[in-house]
Amino acid sequence: MTAAALDKKSIYGFWGTLMELFRIALRAIWASKMRSFLTVLGIIIGVLAVVAVVSIMQGVFQSFLGRFEALGGDTLFIEPNYRLYKDYSEAVKRLKLTYSDAQAVAQDVPQVKEICAILSRQDAISFHGHHDTTQVWGTGDSFASMNSFTPEYGRFLAPMDVAARRKVCVLGHEVLDKLALSDDCVGQEIQIGHGTFQIVGVLQKKGGSVFGNQDDAVFIPLSTAILQYGQEAADSLLIQVQIRDPKLMDAAIERISAVLRRQHGLKFGQQDDFRTVTQDEILKQIKEFSSISTLVVGAIVGITLIVGGIGIMNIMLVSVTERTREIGIRMAVGAKRAHILYQFLIESVTLSTLGGVLGLLLGWGVAHLTVAILHHTVAETFPAAYVPVWVMFLSLGFAAFTGAVFGVYPAVKASRLDPIEALRYE
Amino acid sequence: MNGDDVLIQARNLVKDYPMGDEVYHALRGVDLTVKRGEFLAIMGPSGSGKSTLLHLLGCLDTPTSGEYLLAGTPVHTLTADALAELRNREIGFIFQMFFLLPRSSALENVELPLIYAKVPPAERHQKALEALQFLKLETHAHHKPNQLSGGQRQQIAIARALVNKPSLIMADEPTGNLDSATSDKIMAQLSELNAMGNTLILVTHEPDVAAYAPRQVRIRDGKIVSDERVKKP
Repeated sequence: MTAAALDKKSIYGFWGTLMELFRIALRAIWASKMRSFLTVLGIIIGVLAVVAVVSIMQGVFQSFLGRFEALGGDTLFIEPNYRLYKDYSEAVKRLKLTYSDAQAVAQDVPQVKEICAILSRQDAISFHGHHDTTQVWGTGDSFASMNSFTPEYGRFLAPMDVAARRKVCVLGHEVLDKLALSDDCVGQEIQIGHGTFQIVGVLQKKGGSVFGNQDDAVFIPLSTAILQYGQEAADSLLIQVQIRDPKLMDAAIERISAVLRRQHGLKFGQQDDFRTVTQDEILKQIKEFSSISTLVVGAIVGITLIVGGIGIMNIMLVSVTERTREIGIRMAVGAKRAHILYQFLIESVTLSTLGGVLGLLLGWGVAHLTVAILHHTVAETFPAAYVPVWVMFLSLGFAAFTGAVFGVYPAVKASRLDPIEALRYE
Repeated sequence: MNGDDVLIQARNLVKDYPMGDEVYHALRGVDLTVKRGEFLAIMGPSGSGKSTLLHLLGCLDTPTSGEYLLAGTPVHTLTADALAELRNREIGFIFQMFFLLPRSSALENVELPLIYAKVPPAERHQKALEALQFLKLETHAHHKPNQLSGGQRQQIAIARALVNKPSLIMADEPTGNLDSATSDKIMAQLSELNAMGNTLILVTHEPDVAAYAPRQVRIRDGKIVSDERVKKP
C-alpha cells in the first residue's frame, strides 16, 4: 500500500466508518417502516405526552410570570390577611382594609411613590338589550399609570371623577363586543348593576395581567363603587403600592406594617390582619410550582421511556435473530465485532431518536391544538403553548439515551455471534 | 510476485468440537502447503471435515492445535478481530448460497468488504464497478439480488470476493445451487481468475466441478487421503 493511499484511509477512517454504519442503520429502519414505527411507538407517545403537557404548562407559567414581571420589582400589594380565619366569608366580615388605610399609607410611608385602592366585584352590565357580566373595578387615576393602561378612545378615570363620585366608566376592549358597542361609544350610557354610567373611555387591548383578563372589565371611580356596593365591599379593598426604588422594598414593608398596625389598633403580640405581597414572592411561588410540576412530568417521562425502551430492546433482539445471516456475511467479509456492535447500537439510537423527533413534532401540534380548542371553548385568554428549547433537547436526549441503553444488549448479542454459526443460520 | 511463493502452510491442524461429554474430532492432523497462484479442489463426502478445513483456511475459525501460516501470518494465534481483519484483506469468499445482502444492490454488495477496509466512498464505487465490469455485470449494478438469476448472483459474489484483491479466493460449493450450463460458466470464470494469478481453493463433492482444478486434495475422516496433481484434459 502506498503512503498516499494509507493517508487517505486514515482521513476517512473513524468518521467515515461511523457514517457508513449510520447509513446502514437508516436503510434497515426504512426497509421495515411499519415495524420501525411500531417499535418506537412507546417513545413517540412518551415524548408527545411530555412535550404537549410541558409546553401547555410552560405557556401558563410564562404568561403568569409575564404578568407579574410587568409589574416590576417596585410593586407590592396589601390585602386582608384572609389566612387568619378558616372560613373565607367570616374573614371578609371581620377583616378590614379601607380607603383610609390607603390614605394613611400614602401619607406616612415616605417610600411610597404611588398608591391606589381597588374594589373588585363581578356584576351585570347591559346596553340596549344586550346583557352580560364582567369584572367591575372601583379605583382611581393612579391605577392606569401603575399598571400601564392606555386608553384607545377617550380617557381613563380622573381625580375629579373620584372626588365627585361621578357615574362614569372606562371599558375594557372585550366589553365592546359583549354589549355590541361601536368604537365611538364614548359618551353613551350603559347599565352596571343597578346604576347608569356614562362611558368616558375605552382601553387598548391588553390581554392577561396580574388582575386577570383586563379586556373583560369596566373601571369606575372607587368612591362611586363604594356607594354602589356598600360598606362591606368598602371594607375589604386591595391596595396596590408602588415605591420609589425597588431597593427600598424591605424598609417600605416595615413602615407600611407599622402604619397599618396603628390604623387597626393592633396590640403588641397580635398578628397582622393584613398581608403584603411582593412581585418577588409571587414569582418565587410560580417558579417553585413550575419546577415541581416539571419534575412530576419528568418522572412520568422516565417511566414511559423505560416502557418504550423495552419495546425497542424486544424488537432489536428479534431483528438480530432475523438478521443472523446478514451478520455472518458481514463478518465473513471482514466486519469486526465493534462494527457489528455499533451497527445495531446506531440503529437503535437512530430509531429512538427519530421516534423522539416525531413525538416532539406531534407533541408540539397537540399542545397548540389543545390551546386552540381551549380558546374556542373555555377561555379566550388561555395562554399560548410554549415549547422551551430545553424541553426539545431534553426529550430528544432522553429518547436517544433510551435507544442507547436498551440497544446495548441486542447489539452485544449480535457482535458476539460466531461467523460460522451465523452463516449457517437458516 | 514469485511463483514459488508459499501462501498457505498448515501443519498438523486439529479441530475438536465438544459434543456433550464426547469430543468430535473434525480434523485429525492436516498438513497442507499451497503456493501462490495454485488452484486446488478439496474433495470429500459430507462429514469428512472439508467444511471445517475450509473454515480454518478461510480464517473463520482457529484450530484446536497445529499451526497455520497465511502469507506468513500465524493465523492460529490471532484474536477474533485480527481474524476479521485478515479475512477482509487476504480472503475472498464464494458460497453455495451466494450470501448476498438482500436489501442492497449488486454494487453495494460488492462494496461491502471495502467498507470494512475503510476505503473512501468514491474509490469504493470505482473499485466495485471495475469488479462488476470484469464479470460483465456492470449493467446490473443497481439491481437487487432478487432481480437477478442464480448465475448472476454468484457472479456478484465473485465480484465481491475479488474486489479487495485478496491473496486467496475460497469457493465453497460455488455451483451447488446452479444448473449445469451456468455451473460451467461460473467454473470457467473461476479458472480465468486463476489463470490471471489468483490463488483459488475450491471445496466440492462433485467430481466434474473438481475437475477444473489442476490439484485435487481428498479428505476423509478428518485426514487428507490423497493429494494429486492432475493434467487438464
